[in-house]
Amino acid sequence: MIDMDALRKEASRILAEKVVDVVLGFEDGSLPMRAQPVFIQKPAEAKKLILNGFCGNNLAALLKGRPKTEKIGVICRGCESRAMHALVVEQQIVRENLYLIGVPCQGILDWREISHAIGKEIIKASEDGQDVIITCADGQRKLARSEFLHSACRQCRQPNPLDVNVGIGEFPANPDPAALPSAAVEFSAQPAEKRYAFFEEETDRCIRCYACREACPMCYCAECFVDHITPRWCESMVSPGGTQAWHIIRAFHQTGRCVECGACERACPMEIKMEYITDKLNQDMRDMYGFEVGANDQDQPPFAAFSLDDRNRFLE
Amino acid sequence: MKRKPVIILFQCQYCLAAAEDQSWVETQLPENVKLIKTPCTGRISPLFILNAFQSGADGVLVSGCMPEKCHYIKGNLGARRQLEEFTRLLEYLGMDAGRVRFVWMGIDERGKIQKELASFEQELTALGRSPKFAARPVMAKAGGSHD
Repeated sequence: MIDMDALRKEASRILAEKVVDVVLGFEDGSLPMRAQPVFIQKPAEAKKLILNGFCGNNLAALLKGRPKTEKIGVICRGCESRAMHALVVEQQIVRENLYLIGVPCQGILDWREISHAIGKEIIKASEDGQDVIITCADGQRKLARSEFLHSACRQCRQPNPLDVNVGIGEFPANPDPAALPSAAVEFSAQPAEKRYAFFEEETDRCIRCYACREACPMCYCAECFVDHITPRWCESMVSPGGTQAWHIIRAFHQTGRCVECGACERACPMEIKMEYITDKLNQDMRDMYGFEVGANDQDQPPFAAFSLDDRNRFLE
Repeated sequence: MKRKPVIILFQCQYCLAAAEDQSWVETQLPENVKLIKTPCTGRISPLFILNAFQSGADGVLVSGCMPEKCHYIKGNLGARRQLEEFTRLLEYLGMDAGRVRFVWMGIDERGKIQKELASFEQELTALGRSPKFAARPVMAKAGGSHD
């Protein structure tokens, strides 16, 4: 369980002792079920910090564009810690400038599913152990947390943060990967026609807002391939060719880099499924090269780590 | 006349060791095969392959060098990891298996490119047209469709 008092105390301590310049965490948003990221600069502000199943962003995505010399404390769950290790490998951030405050994660709740299930205006939402308590104008309802977990969190292999400076709370053991559901395995069990039809239907809804790109911790290119004009790599219109190219190449650029946090899906205003693509690519990288994203601060992703050891694979 | 499948041939400029093969590829390719010569297979972005299918290609043939024979030492190693995974991704998303083929050339394999193209064309004829991922009807005409 998360010990909020200890977390706030640690945040204000590191700010007061100048271990870090700023702490990145979550605060309550202006709408129920929507927590928002916050940069805390003063020790007294640390009481604003919250942490619950409605904290849907991946905080590592907010590190891009920060000053390179800034010391930053980040409250991180499993996926966020892996994203930051992967960013260190790719030399986007410096490990010495990070102070990782690891917290246990119970999984992020899918607020859209909850509001579909409730079907009317929600005034307040809070968590109580394994329950979610939703307050509407006409009373309270209790929902089981496990039924409203986000799909990415249902199949999360490593909810516990890796290689952190300090861990706060108790960390239960990571789940057994073999027992977890996998969107990629379910998807590949279908016939090719069905797979293409699903992919076509999902991408067809895309409005090219690039919210998935902005929410992704691993998308940090100064100029994305879709924004490039001469030459134009893919159609910029909301046309089948353009949206399909965007979804295929966006996912492909995440091969062996995606931390499977599901922030892209949660950010998508059109509720497009994307994880089944990146899951498959990451699974391939695990099977072929034994590569686990963000496991440490040294290992290059497989597309950057090719060597002559590959020579026997050429004629497979 | 029966429509021949449109093939885009991405060829590394060093992979054909025999001068006759290289001049055959440059001057005598059948009309349904379009040659895109690259400095090295490492130059081929997965986007090129996707763009080929989006522009109406029925198949893509990538011809590169064997390991240890790359002019740029390891361009082909990176290319193989990326492009083969990209092919698996397209197949995962519903593309027919076998629409992308790789030929890694040894230096003593004279006449291999002709044989590969012929057998690839045969396979693609059996698979038929590829409507999946096709996105640019205008460009498909400009790119040399033969119907």
